[in-house]
Amino acid sequence: MTVLEELPDITESPDAKPSGNLPTSKDLYYRWERQQWSVAALDLTKDQETWGTLRAFYRTELLNALTELEVGEVTVVETLSSLVDKAPTDDDRIYLSTQLADEGRHVRFFQTYLREAAGISGEGLADSADYTNHFAPELRRVTGAVWAKGDRDSWYEALVYYHLVTEGVLAATALRTTRQLAKRLPLPALVEGLTNVTRDESRHVAFGMIAARDGVAAGYAEPVRRAYLHGLELGARVLVGPLRKQAVPAVKTALVFRAAQLRGGFEIARDRAVRQLAHIGLPDAVADAAEVWDTALERALDAYEEHWNTPHPVRAAGSLKESA
Amino acid sequence: MSSEEILTGVRRIIGEMCPLGARDVAPADRIMEDLGYDSMAVVELALVLEAEFALEPIDEEQAIDLVTVEDVAELVGRMVSARA
Ligand SMILES: [Fe+2]
Ligand SMILES: [Fe+2]
Repeated sequence: MTVLEELPDITESPDAKPSGNLPTSKDLYYRWERQQWSVAALDLTKDQETWGTLRAFYRTELLNALTELEVGEVTVVETLSSLVDKAPTDDDRIYLSTQLADEGRHVRFFQTYLREAAGISGEGLADSADYTNHFAPELRRVTGAVWAKGDRDSWYEALVYYHLVTEGVLAATALRTTRQLAKRLPLPALVEGLTNVTRDESRHVAFGMIAARDGVAAGYAEPVRRAYLHGLELGARVLVGPLRKQAVPAVKTALVFRAAQLRGGFEIARDRAVRQLAHIGLPDAVADAAEVWDTALERALDAYEEHWNTPHPVRAAGSLKESA
Repeated sequence: MSSEEILTGVRRIIGEMCPLGARDVAPADRIMEDLGYDSMAVVELALVLEAEFALEPIDEEQAIDLVTVEDVAELVGRMVSARA
């Protein structure tokens, strides 16, 4: 089964009816049993030679992406337990306990990979990550509120930040773009690990969508919608990454290419952000979601410019076209 | 730096960084079609050239199509002389 194709299938199958093709949480449990993998079985030494020869651009690209993924995984391990404990049904709780094991394995994978293949210690990575600074505090707040309040509104809100935004938009985008990069360098062990992580994440996102869809149908549309829009606002900022310095090539042809690469990632994320809404029964929130996303993206580009005192490459390339 | 020296340096770098494996490249080789550079590799190449030749943006670049090794060397030459 090709996995990258599987992830988009969840949201991109053109014929999928909003309440049709999604599995149940019980199905996802059995899928988990069939889709086991092991960090220890990956031969990370296969990638060491390529890491030794990488030049600054690819190295920085990869390290930035792997850092954001690693800190995201650490945060989700730390915050899933309230969703497990207060899950609406027994099937949901049993499924979610499999997810907790997955997230632990993902942290092990990224930390081991960074240390053994890239030669980087995980210490201090989180401090400068955009996810840590812009999203993690909110995820901690909303998952903490599930313990504190114990009500369904809080559970659905936390689910949205966790499964639909962190996993369905941010992780799905980062996994796709990083896996493409790993394939072309090539970094075969990284491709294999990211493929496994992506397969797991596609189950997690599927759960997020069925649970959110059920919540919307059961009268929790308002908290889901509110959390989704706010989550997207923060998510767009993480994706742009105002704290991450981007190379702005002096050669304009290269600058235009660079901007197109970055914009490509933004578009994958936006597309997912919008498409998920139809699957969870909130198609009427699409226009609002698109507007929130686009505004937040522009604001994040502003924040980048303020932080670094120079335009983000997407802006720099944009002004090039306007002045041409 | 003469344009001959620039062409030699640019050929060496493009050849070393060639995604199809390091090789000797000719001035007329097309970067993307013949040498296998994709858009990521072009960005990486540009950043390496920039560091090697201390390049800064120049205004008149927009009209240029960077197709061949020679095109790149010519652009680098113009950026170097704009800097001087
Ligand atoms: Fe994960
Ligand atoms: Fe996950």
